Amino acid sequence: MHRLQMFPDYSLRSAETLNQRSIITRRSLLAMSAGFILSPRLSYAAEGPRLAAIDWAMLETAFALGAHIVAGTEIKQFRRTSVEPALPADFIDLGLRGSPNFELLRFIQPDFILSSPFYAQHGAKFSQIAPVISLPFYVAGQPPFEKTLDAVRNLGAKLALADRAEQVVAEAERNLARYRAELGRKAARPIYVINIGDGRHFRAFGADSLFGNIMVRLGLTNAWQGATEFSFAAPVPIERLAEMPEAKIVIVSEIPVEARSTLRSSVLWNALPAVRQNRVLQLENVGPYGGVIAGMRFARLLHKALTEAPE
Amino acid sequence: MNAALRPRNLVAIVAAAMLASALSAYNIARYAPATGFPAWPFDPASMSLDQIIIAYGLLPRAAVALLCGACLGLSGALLQRLLRNPIAEPATLGISSGAQLAIVAATLFAPGLVDGGRQGVAFGGAALAALIVVGLSWRRGLDPIAMIIGGLLVGITASAISAALVLAQGEYLMSLVSWNGGALSQQDWSTSRNLLLQFFAGALAAAVLTKPLTILGLDDSSARRLGLSVNLIRFAVIAIAVWLAASVAAAVGLVSFIGLAAPAFARLAGVRKASSVLLLAPVYGALLLLLADGVVQLLSSSTGETFPTGAVTALLGGPLLLFLLPRLKLRELPRQTPTIDRVKIRRPWRVVAILFAVVPLLVFLMLTTGRAPAGWVFSVGDVFHELLPWRWPRLAAAGAAGALLAVAGTIMQRITGNAMASPEVMGVSGGAGVGFAAVLYLVEAPGPLEFLIGSIAGSLTVLAIVVGYVLRKSLPPDRLLLAGIAISSFATAILSLLIATGNPRSWQILIWISGTALSVTAEQSVVLMVLAGLVLAGGLSCLRWLEILPLGEAVPSALGMSARRTRIMLFCLAAVATAAASMLVGPLSFVGLMAPHMARMAGFRRAPSHLVAACLIGTILMLVADWAARTVTFPYEQPLGIFASLIGAPYLLWLIGREKP
Repeated sequence: MHRLQMFPDYSLRSAETLNQRSIITRRSLLAMSAGFILSPRLSYAAEGPRLAAIDWAMLETAFALGAHIVAGTEIKQFRRTSVEPALPADFIDLGLRGSPNFELLRFIQPDFILSSPFYAQHGAKFSQIAPVISLPFYVAGQPPFEKTLDAVRNLGAKLALADRAEQVVAEAERNLARYRAELGRKAARPIYVINIGDGRHFRAFGADSLFGNIMVRLGLTNAWQGATEFSFAAPVPIERLAEMPEAKIVIVSEIPVEARSTLRSSVLWNALPAVRQNRVLQLENVGPYGGVIAGMRFARLLHKALTEAPE
Repeated sequence: MNAALRPRNLVAIVAAAMLASALSAYNIARYAPATGFPAWPFDPASMSLDQIIIAYGLLPRAAVALLCGACLGLSGALLQRLLRNPIAEPATLGISSGAQLAIVAATLFAPGLVDGGRQGVAFGGAALAALIVVGLSWRRGLDPIAMIIGGLLVGITASAISAALVLAQGEYLMSLVSWNGGALSQQDWSTSRNLLLQFFAGALAAAVLTKPLTILGLDDSSARRLGLSVNLIRFAVIAIAVWLAASVAAAVGLVSFIGLAAPAFARLAGVRKASSVLLLAPVYGALLLLLADGVVQLLSSSTGETFPTGAVTALLGGPLLLFLLPRLKLRELPRQTPTIDRVKIRRPWRVVAILFAVVPLLVFLMLTTGRAPAGWVFSVGDVFHELLPWRWPRLAAAGAAGALLAVAGTIMQRITGNAMASPEVMGVSGGAGVGFAAVLYLVEAPGPLEFLIGSIAGSLTVLAIVVGYVLRKSLPPDRLLLAGIAISSFATAILSLLIATGNPRSWQILIWISGTALSVTAEQSVVLMVLAGLVLAGGLSCLRWLEILPLGEAVPSALGMSARRTRIMLFCLAAVATAAASMLVGPLSFVGLMAPHMARMAGFRRAPSHLVAACLIGTILMLVADWAARTVTFPYEQPLGIFASLIGAPYLLWLIGREKP
């Protein structure tokens, strides 16, 4: 299938001008029928190829690079759970990550589709619409944050933003080094980093998670020694938080409404050494399966919380 | 001698109790602190953490397991007795799904209500579901069969609405978290205390009703002769069962199979008397759940993987029930002529022609209309040609899947003579899912063909097991259904457990379960259509057998036909059709149940018109489902399977409710 050019002026104006014109006409038809204004050079966007992201980590990577990204999946959910980057109001929602809206994607006609191996089963369909850039972030047993930095470089190289990519990576490294230095003595206690699932269960982030990886970079000890795969359920019973009594507990993201009163009145929760001795910290929402922006947001929030905490 | 004290029963209970308590004791002992076991009365302020874990974590957990098991056992026993149906339990009456829908809806729209008011919300939902089921079968004198079918459909609808609500909010992941209910861990005694009160209230009410219920178990007319208000008693019994099931749903979520297994185990242990079954079902339920939870705790301590107990009970219960099934002494159900057979169409082929004409009309409408951010769009000309390659493969594949499932369902319903038989209920779809998962885990980088082969192998395995039971013992339909449900539940349990491990492969299983038509290519949809044609042709070539087999074992043998070979062949046809369709729509569509049923209710009774009409209805259902799935919650595309059940189930409910006795 032919690929429609976004900026025909920049592209090779060779023999096929006629063909190209017909393509443009068809494209404007598509766009009009979808209710789009043609040539959507949106205020927030930079120059360059227009991107649509299926994978959230890729979306963040593109934003970090200042690339021209116009659409992503599950935007409602992203705004709530990941918070950063703040998406513009006219950012297009492509539907569910597991089943993105191909018709809409076709209407938008991006120059590249940003994906990850998680969505490999749709790869053939994506490449009918636009070339796909697919990068791995979460591979079992491998530290994800390093992968997010690799992705920044990788995508930067593909979009001719290599300089910007180096800046992003350097800034991330600089900030991590600073946080690490400043934490110093505050980093003594091991830390459980958790999401609260319901009144009785939590989700634990081990060494192979984004959060666990950042903790290593900050010189912190992860109190959760067990292996974590990136489970979306919250399967671990709360009593497991007592296995390392001297640890702090860091709750990432808000506690679900239906769990709040259960947790407040829970004898077990209130008996945990960390709770008894007031060593529980709460961070704002951070996406646990995000990219470089989520990683750095977690580092920043954790650094702030630990610095402000009494001990 | 009192039936409850029969040696076999006594041995079974004592053995189960000893095993369960030994397991619990072992799990508790692992925490046994140096400071000794917690002393009564419990005072958290003076306890070490290990002691608190025992006193407020593990002991209440055991109590909750016992109480939930008891509630479900009693609830199941009451429903089974009342409906004279050994597969009745809170789940088959839509009660559990109703409770779940209420909790999901409240979580999304009134989260404050769930925080603290969970119990009330769950009971409201469960009661509403039960009320609908009772209301629908009221005009037919609460006919047990109508009630079970209505209950199953209410359950499907409620689950589909729950999933659709969650997905429309863009919360793709939460939909499966709510799947994984049934975790029993506790943090204090409040849940146990509530459950204890709720159980005793229910048990007391049940005790009062034991005698009338026993008489009711005989048949309605003798109950009436004895001056009982049949409907009043039924209503009261259902209220108690709903109460018990809702208590469990609110406290710990979905715990499957206990309500079904407990009364069955009691009967297996030789308990015959109705009142004794009612008395012992809670005991068996309690011990069964305690045992299951003990195994779960043991597993989680030794493997590091934690699974919700509710998902594991299905895993334990399924095979166990299947193993015991041939020895299960069930009272033969009183044969009733299904009332759905009373309607008859005078000129069936004219109606078939109308249905046939509707299909191209629908296809045209659905290919041209869609949604964009600005609103509805009717596309013709160039835009239509641009969109066509995106719209037609999935639409065609959906239609073909509908036809395949409908043919599979028709074959299974006609062979077994059971209106509830279908690929979904009999576990064939679930088997396809397990085959799919096996390929995912065993084959390096599998493609569509490997998945199809795996799914077919899974379906065939399940059907072979089910058919094995039918042929070996020439089981009556209700037992066949029970075997099917056991396998279905087992397959679902395996898939839920694989999802609970949460690695990238579970993501793919999840996508399969939600049944999106998205990844289908043009070639695959052509293959599916050809397959649908072949399967329909295969079914049509067996018309004579499809006509005779439902009449019972005796007729075909008398005619000198090999019923065995014919059945195996037809079942293979159904298995291939199911596997191919399940690849696209997942296991939850229920088109295989609905389409043949709808055709039959509409009056298509003879095999040829029944098969063709069911096939067309299945196609139409899936066409509409695909179109709705793509437009209703734009840009969030709903799973195809869920939409199919959202369209079909309410229609069927309306039809059942409308029908005159």
